[in-house]
Amino acid sequence: MTRDTGELLPGTFEMLALKALTLGAMHGWGIAERIERLSDGACEIQQGAVYPVLQRLLRKGWVVAAWRATENHRRARYYRITPSGQRRLDAEIAWWRRSSSGIERVLRAAIQEG
Amino acid sequence: MSWLDALRERARNLFAQQDVDLDEEIAYHLELETSRQIANGCDPGVARARAVARFGNRRDVADATRDERGTHLMEGGMQDLRWALRSLRKNPGFTALAMVTLTLGISAATVAFTVLDTVLLRPLPYPAAERLVYMQELTSKQSLRPPSYPNFVDWRSEPKSFDGVVSAMYPFSETVWPGERMSEPVRATLLGVSRRFFATLGVKPAIGREFSDDESRVGGPRVVMVSYEFWQTQMGGRQPLGTLRVGDTPAPVIGVTPPDFRFLRAADVYFSHEQEPGTIRSAHNYMVVGRLKTGVTLDAARAEMARLSQALMSTYGNETEAANVDLKPLRDYLVGDYRTMLGVVFGAAALVLLIACTNLVSTQLARGWAREREVVIRAALGASRARIARQLFIESAVLVGAGAAFGLVFSAAATQAVKKLGTGLVPRLNELSVSGRAFLFVAAVAVVTSLIVGIYPAVRLARGDAGLVMRSARGSSVSVRTSVWRLLVGFEVALAVVLLVGSALLVRTLHNILTADTGIVSRGVVTAAITPREEDAGRLDEITRSLGSLPGVDGVAFTNRLPFTWGDQSGPIRRQSDPLDRNWPALAGFRVVTPEYFSVLKQPVLRGRAFTSADRDGAPHVAIITSGVAAKLWPGQDPIGKAVATNYLMKEWLTVVGVVTEASSWTMPRGSQHEIFVPLAQHLQSTQGQLVVVLRTRGDAQALLPELRSRLRQLLPTSPAQIGTMDERIAKSAADRRFAMIALLVFGGIAVCLAGVGIYGVIWYIVTTRTHEIGVRLALGATSGMIQGEVLRGAAAMALGGIVVGAIAGVFATRYLQSTLYGVSRLDPSMYAVGAAIALVATLLGALVPARRTSRIDPMISLRGDA
Repeated sequence: MTRDTGELLPGTFEMLALKALTLGAMHGWGIAERIERLSDGACEIQQGAVYPVLQRLLRKGWVVAAWRATENHRRARYYRITPSGQRRLDAEIAWWRRSSSGIERVLRAAIQEG
Repeated sequence: MSWLDALRERARNLFAQQDVDLDEEIAYHLELETSRQIANGCDPGVARARAVARFGNRRDVADATRDERGTHLMEGGMQDLRWALRSLRKNPGFTALAMVTLTLGISAATVAFTVLDTVLLRPLPYPAAERLVYMQELTSKQSLRPPSYPNFVDWRSEPKSFDGVVSAMYPFSETVWPGERMSEPVRATLLGVSRRFFATLGVKPAIGREFSDDESRVGGPRVVMVSYEFWQTQMGGRQPLGTLRVGDTPAPVIGVTPPDFRFLRAADVYFSHEQEPGTIRSAHNYMVVGRLKTGVTLDAARAEMARLSQALMSTYGNETEAANVDLKPLRDYLVGDYRTMLGVVFGAAALVLLIACTNLVSTQLARGWAREREVVIRAALGASRARIARQLFIESAVLVGAGAAFGLVFSAAATQAVKKLGTGLVPRLNELSVSGRAFLFVAAVAVVTSLIVGIYPAVRLARGDAGLVMRSARGSSVSVRTSVWRLLVGFEVALAVVLLVGSALLVRTLHNILTADTGIVSRGVVTAAITPREEDAGRLDEITRSLGSLPGVDGVAFTNRLPFTWGDQSGPIRRQSDPLDRNWPALAGFRVVTPEYFSVLKQPVLRGRAFTSADRDGAPHVAIITSGVAAKLWPGQDPIGKAVATNYLMKEWLTVVGVVTEASSWTMPRGSQHEIFVPLAQHLQSTQGQLVVVLRTRGDAQALLPELRSRLRQLLPTSPAQIGTMDERIAKSAADRRFAMIALLVFGGIAVCLAGVGIYGVIWYIVTTRTHEIGVRLALGATSGMIQGEVLRGAAAMALGGIVVGAIAGVFATRYLQSTLYGVSRLDPSMYAVGAAIALVATLLGALVPARRTSRIDPMISLRGDA
């Protein structure tokens, strides 16, 4: 079984959503679209999955949401990252860097020993 | 509207608003994605579908989002509970089926437990009932006899082990005038009791008092007590209690027993038997109960009674037969015989519950597989496996909890039905009620059931590799999965077969009992117990003629007791060479009959002759004996012309003029009933005013009863009659087996239905997951009949395994029925064939519905669906 499509690593969705929101307030579709675009399609997600995640972020107080008019005069719910959300993101990024560089080192060592 | 309602309303609005918001968000999302797909060059017709596909299952997303809402107040549990309720609501069919399954299983177990608990486990309804012991004479040949009055008196006065020893006689029926003045007489059951009977049992009369010591001696004032039910129904609950006329004597009523009081035998009127005490040490006529002193063990009491018996033997020698005294806890005496039967019933209920659990495990597994995508989404959203397992477990627990609640309600109703049906069939069933212990039992059952039902599927599903499942083609691992399931269903079928075989054996047993050759032809015989006054004695011929003229009556006879009601009332019979007081060659029931008795009951005369009208007062006294008596008294000789005596007619020698076949007693254990017959015309006084009319009818015996009743009322206005058919009495004698049979039939029926439902589930799953394969085969020219046949054959194969295993298990399980069976071997192959056939039919019926679904599969749609 090959892993050809960009499936998200478990637990990383929150971090990516928060990161996407550091580029400015955005609605659900925009967040999903940003993640896909910024990852060059490597992180292909089931788009609907952003909504439960956003709900969780809301509950934790890391984002806030408000209904606003869009540029084409429609109504959309925009999510904005809060200072505590920013702190959370920093912590997540630090965790990610630490663990991914660790994983990377292991993989390289494996190649050398092999 | 209270503030609580207001709050609830607001909360609901809040959630409703959030749902509306979410819908709008999702709608806008799909719109944006559709425009992007078009912008990327996608055909507008397909763009929308693509957007929807990329979004994922809309309902799953909404559910998952809702789950994330507002849970900081009630983290975890409540959320899982909501999820469980929602997912159960989404599948009403499954939920209903699971609830019915669980309700049936839990009710069956609860009702069976309640019966077991009431009859076997609960103490008798007397204070410190564990100290009550039942006492019987034990002969030197180690056989048990009811005690005699003189022995009872010695047991009461000598030993130090007891706070009290009391006795009761065997109940009999008598004409009673319950009214203050000359009212309608009724037939009442009388029970003679000894002094301090109620006090020793620890029973306080509901009204009034019990017999005083003065009223419990020879020559004491004649008074009676009545049962609460008699007081209510016959005396109109009147106070003061007034006077009853019992037979010819008026007796003041001094007390009323508590409602539902029933000691050893039910009775309407109580009197003191000590006013007319028995005098013969070897007359076995009493039931004796002692109350052990606090701190005295049963063994200590046994030792003391053994010493006392020795002393009595040395004083009275052959006058007493009590070489020792048998003591056993009263409860063991009352219900000991029913232990096996109730164990069987309870075991059957446990099997039903096990089948219900198995069914639920398999359906939960199937649902889990069908829901894998949902589980995968949740896993992808960061829900841990432990959390998913917990949610699945909670879902099962919710089902089981609701099933237990329904089960409790249902079993409360069922218990009432059992009480109504079973009172009189099984001792103590009149006490039946759902107790606190039964509640605890249900709770324990619910916990164990949810553990069984919840854990396995939860672990199994949560262990699945989420990523793997998501991408795997539909149906690729169906065969692996269904192997577990087939096993479970096979197991259910096996359990059902065990129950069906047991039911078949009991049905056969009951049939054998009801149709067994008892030596007489009971079908069509109607009996009426009457108490004619002395002046009626001369009218027997007139009564015979009048009853004989009733339409449908072929013959009329009189006797002193109902056929087959001997029990403990056999008396010694002797040859002239035998001593008066011991070493009797046989015991036999004593029956006073009119000449027509043998022809009316069709009891064949083997030798000599039946009685004739010539055997009247003044003629030589004659007797007829049964073949068993003849064989014991004069083995190998012709008994005709020999002299015989019975203790019922002391010191009178009778000449044997005939030998008849021996009617077997239909009470269990079955055995031949020795009897000695004398002509009524020669021994009118021996009937003690009790007579039974026996009528042989053509056609429907039941239809004759009303006419017989009114005719007897005309003929004997002062003697109310107890009327019934012989078949009814025989059926009643097999009551305990009937009870077990009904229980096993009900449980067997439930079991086989549940197994059918189990089969239905697995076949439905197989058919659903193989839609694609079936579509291909249909496209390649297979007919839908072929496919259906194949599905049914698969179901039959699955069931056959279970049937074989069930039959083998039945060989072992039916050992517990051994003592209950009559006239059928527990290994009778035809019984197993019946069980197997019913199970197979249920299987095929269960498989038929989903199999027919295959005919509705459209090859084109099923092929496209998988693309």
